[in-house]
Amino acid sequence: MMTCEKYKNLIEKYVEGTISERQLAELKTHTQTCESCREEFERCILLQETIKQAFSSRTSAEQAGASLVARLSEEPNLRLPPARFGTALYAGKRAAIAAGILLAVGLFLGFALGRAGKPARTPLTAQVPISVDKIEGTVLVRHEGSDVWQALEAGSNIYLGDTFHSTAKSAFVLKLDDVSTLELNQNSMLVLRLYNDEIQFFLEHGECTASLESPHGSFFINTPHGRVEALGTEFTVTVTDE
Amino acid sequence: MAVELKQNMAGDRQLVRAALRGETSAFGAIVERYWNMVVALALSKVSDAAEAEDIAQESFLKAYSQLAGLRDPSRLAGWLSKITAQQCSNSLRKIVRHRRALGCRAAPIEALDERPAMAANPGLTQNQIRFVRQTVRRLPEKFRTMIVMRFVADLSTVQIAEQLGKRPGTVRVRLHRAYKLLRKDLAPLLEEVES
Repeated sequence: MMTCEKYKNLIEKYVEGTISERQLAELKTHTQTCESCREEFERCILLQETIKQAFSSRTSAEQAGASLVARLSEEPNLRLPPARFGTALYAGKRAAIAAGILLAVGLFLGFALGRAGKPARTPLTAQVPISVDKIEGTVLVRHEGSDVWQALEAGSNIYLGDTFHSTAKSAFVLKLDDVSTLELNQNSMLVLRLYNDEIQFFLEHGECTASLESPHGSFFINTPHGRVEALGTEFTVTVTDE
Repeated sequence: MAVELKQNMAGDRQLVRAALRGETSAFGAIVERYWNMVVALALSKVSDAAEAEDIAQESFLKAYSQLAGLRDPSRLAGWLSKITAQQCSNSLRKIVRHRRALGCRAAPIEALDERPAMAANPGLTQNQIRFVRQTVRRLPEKFRTMIVMRFVADLSTVQIAEQLGKRPGTVRVRLHRAYKLLRKDLAPLLEEVES
């Protein structure tokens, strides 16, 4: 009876999935000679198998994986947003804390030595005061340093170095300030870069239309063929392969 | 078991990192790894098998779009189970709204699942499958999750505890309670299958 108590514990471990190979072999040997434990163990296996079968999917896991990968490739709207925070921070939590302490010490020393007066250079991935006003169809954005395109959404933050790509029958409007806007038409590519310490627009191909407040200061659209300066409050620039 | 647990978690971490680098095939591998668990979790809440698979697909797409926000990739299974639970609630709410809009009463659970038994379930008849699912669905939600994660996803109580951020003792107690209830309620069916 004492020995059966031990095997009942092993059956419990089997249910929990924590039984070792050696313990399982021992249990199986015991069930060959003990009818009560055999019935209990067989019932336990049957229950597990029954649940597994009743809750099995009609689609195989391989098919499901392949189908989802195909769907992700076909629909750009489902693209992965880049990991700006989250995993990287969590993975290096200790490193981040250590870096924070070092930064604090560095800043303190900088102040102490009177070297903190210099203005910091604008980081290349800085957010810019431009917002996405309207979007039609599918417009993709790629942040600098990333090779992943993701769907642009109204209200998304815009960063220096962002590249925008409007697909067929798609367009979007960037709000530059209260009045001025820049519209990128379909099949076009626009990049935001720092040029002569100013945020400038580079139209790689396609067409964009700027509507500016009046009177406006100098406003340029850079293209692979040259630089276009605004001559009116509304103007369109087109870049073709010819 | 401890070695296997570490290997699984390391595998999940690598797959999540690769998927975050833009390798969609790595996300495909994540789907393959957890598809059965996610479908089973959905089936433990909704009665229609096709709907459960739709919920599973939507859960994976949501997981993909939120992957950068996954704080601890070694807890991928637990994270997926939470997303699936949320997707199930959304789906059930939609069904209720739809039925209200149509002015019809909720259909009994049996009437929703009329598909024939698939080749994947050779040992059980359609009626038996329906009976097992209904029995599991009657369990409290915290028990259902344990049953699916243990018997469908093949995670041990230690792994489930790690995934859900709970104490192994709590998971063990819940699993044994759920197991005991199922053994009692499914006893006639098990005898039928055995004979």
